[in-house]
Amino acid sequence: MNLFAWLRPTAPELDAALQRRLDALPGPAPLGVCSLREQRWVVLDLETSGLNLNRDQVLSIGAVAIEDGAIDLGRPFERTLRRPEQKTNASVLIHGLGPSALAAGCEPVEALLDLMTFIGDSPVLAFHAPFDQRMLARALKDSLGLRLQHPFLDVAELAPMLNPDTVLREAGLDDWIARFGLEVQARHHASADAQVTAELALILFSQARRQQLDSPLQLEQRVRQWRRRKAQHHGL
Amino acid sequence: MSKKDAYTQAGRTAVLQNIQGTLQFLQRFPPFNQMEHSHLAYLVEQCQLRFYAGGESIITPAEGPVEHFYIVKQGRVVGERHHVTRPGTETTFEITSGECFPLAALLGERATRTEHLAGEDTFCLQLDKAAFIRVFSMSEVFRDFALRGVSSLLDQVNQQVRQRAVETLGTQYSLNTPLGELALRHPVVCTPDLALREAVRLMHEQQVGSIVIIDEQRHPIGIFTLRDLRQVVADASAELTAPIERYMTAKPFYLSPQASAFDAAMAMTERHIAHVCLVDNQRLCGVISERDLFSLQRVDLVHLARTIRHAPRLDSLVSLRGEIGQLVERMLAHGASSTQITQIITLLNDHTVCRVIELAIAERGDPGVPFSWLCFGSEGRREQTLHTDQDNGILFEARDGAEAEAIRARLLPLAQHINHNLAQCGFTLCKGNVMAGNPELCLSRGEWARRFAGFVREASPENLLRSSIYFDLRVVWGDEQGCEQLRQGLLEQVADNRIFQRMLADNALRQRPPVGRLREFVLTRQGDDKAATLDLKVQGLTPFVDGARLLALAHGITACNTLERLRQLITQGVIDPLDGAAYEEAYHFIQQTRMQQHQRQSRENMPYSNRLDPDSLNHLDRRILRESLRQAQRLQSSLALRYQL
Repeated sequence: MNLFAWLRPTAPELDAALQRRLDALPGPAPLGVCSLREQRWVVLDLETSGLNLNRDQVLSIGAVAIEDGAIDLGRPFERTLRRPEQKTNASVLIHGLGPSALAAGCEPVEALLDLMTFIGDSPVLAFHAPFDQRMLARALKDSLGLRLQHPFLDVAELAPMLNPDTVLREAGLDDWIARFGLEVQARHHASADAQVTAELALILFSQARRQQLDSPLQLEQRVRQWRRRKAQHHGL
Repeated sequence: MSKKDAYTQAGRTAVLQNIQGTLQFLQRFPPFNQMEHSHLAYLVEQCQLRFYAGGESIITPAEGPVEHFYIVKQGRVVGERHHVTRPGTETTFEITSGECFPLAALLGERATRTEHLAGEDTFCLQLDKAAFIRVFSMSEVFRDFALRGVSSLLDQVNQQVRQRAVETLGTQYSLNTPLGELALRHPVVCTPDLALREAVRLMHEQQVGSIVIIDEQRHPIGIFTLRDLRQVVADASAELTAPIERYMTAKPFYLSPQASAFDAAMAMTERHIAHVCLVDNQRLCGVISERDLFSLQRVDLVHLARTIRHAPRLDSLVSLRGEIGQLVERMLAHGASSTQITQIITLLNDHTVCRVIELAIAERGDPGVPFSWLCFGSEGRREQTLHTDQDNGILFEARDGAEAEAIRARLLPLAQHINHNLAQCGFTLCKGNVMAGNPELCLSRGEWARRFAGFVREASPENLLRSSIYFDLRVVWGDEQGCEQLRQGLLEQVADNRIFQRMLADNALRQRPPVGRLREFVLTRQGDDKAATLDLKVQGLTPFVDGARLLALAHGITACNTLERLRQLITQGVIDPLDGAAYEEAYHFIQQTRMQQHQRQSRENMPYSNRLDPDSLNHLDRRILRESLRQAQRLQSSLALRYQL
């Protein structure tokens, strides 16, 4: 027994079958220089019980894959998580997931394993990605003892970066949906939000290509520069 | 249900939920709105969603056989074809939300002939060929649509028109029904030697209004109707024991059972008969009566035509005008096409004009000189709608100028009287005074010929406008010989005068069809109208009318009717058969839309207007209207090319 073992959080105990699946998960591939079209992407949207990164829980997960530059309509990913302990709070008004839906949901361990299998080694896109990234990271650590290492790109950053002429302050997903005339089936429904975010991503990739940014790596580097410039600008 | 099944089920529900949006989107458009739900769900599940920035190529002819089927989800796809003869491209079609491509190439397992580009930022659903074939084999609706392409859209419009008719009239009766399909009673027949009394007894026993006299091969040699019986009774010398042969109407008019109810109605109206024999392979197979055709209609075409032709006074003619409107309403409701309706209106109007002339002569006395009553413009082209102006003139024969002057003096008072009476019958007086009562339009053949030659020689803007009215001329009343000689002279002059043709072509390009590259329709707002509109007549029909007139005059075609001109231009090889068919369909659809609008306006007691707000049409009609206007654009660009404008 290691001296510091008690300091470590107790790793959740998984049954053998789940453990095997966990072990088999591929790690993330680093962002490369292939074209944007060749890269497989996963667009993620989480519905949570609230906005507190330390206390609130992931309630449902929607994800859509972009492969060969297209969204596969027949194979979206969607899971509602079983959260029997979840009390109804104000956020139910947004995501509409009531206690009965959550009680009927799927075991978080399995749902998260399924999600990581779906993501595979692909980079992840999300609108306000840092939020989804941290929420997912905590859920993975708590339920699977897994460290999330996949690169995330934020669609909320890509959109203003590639559309410098569009003046939208603090633009939310709805603003960009309206800007590009997209149609959403049901906002704040994880897979519908993932779907529309993916559609937005297709438009942005097409714009990026026209601005000579045709690889995931280039795109990510440009985002860093853009973020730095913006910080400086604000600093001044 | 096991746990695993429950999860599969939950996953399945999630998928269904997510494709629900796409499903609901597609269900707004044909053929998807008629497909079985499971087939449509399969289609959507197999789809990928792709984005194309404006200007980006989607499929090109160079890519070889087409591998995918596309449905536009959002945005616009345009087809661009390179000009064969000069640099640049031409937009051949436009595809928007809910429409699919490229069906013909996909089914023909070939490359597209046209490059498909995104006209603006566009999302397309993409189905690979294997899935397309699977849907094609599963869904009959989809297969039907794919095989018949746009023509099946037109069928759907016709079905809609009929559907509406069925709703209002509660009947399946259609004017396009083949006569053989109408439930007809067995015809009552006899041989020519039967006694008149026996024949009438047969008619009485069978409760019919006609008996057909046949030979040994069952070929009809005569018909005897109740009307003939009336005549026999009125004639004191008639013998009831004489053979019927003596009293029958010999060589009765007949049609084949494949002819439509409309054909029979037209024949009855033109010939003033009430019974038409149906003959198949020289053998009598039925008789159709006026009552069989119009048993469901209160207003009847044949009866109306006859009443007009025999109206005793002008007042009776005036009161009959309202019935023409009702008749048209019913015909439209019964699914009659715009061509059939313009034909009927023209026919009834011709009857009215003839009767007005006859009554005027009876009232004012015969002027003692033979003359022909001419009509011009839409009346001349037999394309009248209920909303109609007078455009007429008089043609007579004279040896010299002095004689022409003398005859004119005699005819003008009568002509003015006729114009005035026609106005009372609902033919609005012509604002431009294109009327027979105008001394400039009451001319001898020589004077007309000089006048027309002047139009062709000096192609001033006024003369071009005049030629677009006067060159569509025909005789409504009187001898037709003089008019045909006039027309021959005119055709020869136009054929020889390339400059005049070019001016006419230039003129034909002035009204641009209201479809643009960027938007669906190019609309304008009139005065303080709430909605922006387009003009179905000036912007939609006029390009076809002008184009067909020019090409017909230039190629010696005597017909005046636009569709007839197009058909003869195809026969003469002046225009490509496929193009001609497309022009015809497009013209037909715009005219139909215009008439339906007129009917609606008259029902709602609104003034007639040709201005239409495309948003007032349903999705399908709007789409076909746009395609139809695009055909007008194509006709114009072909004229521009032909005359190098």
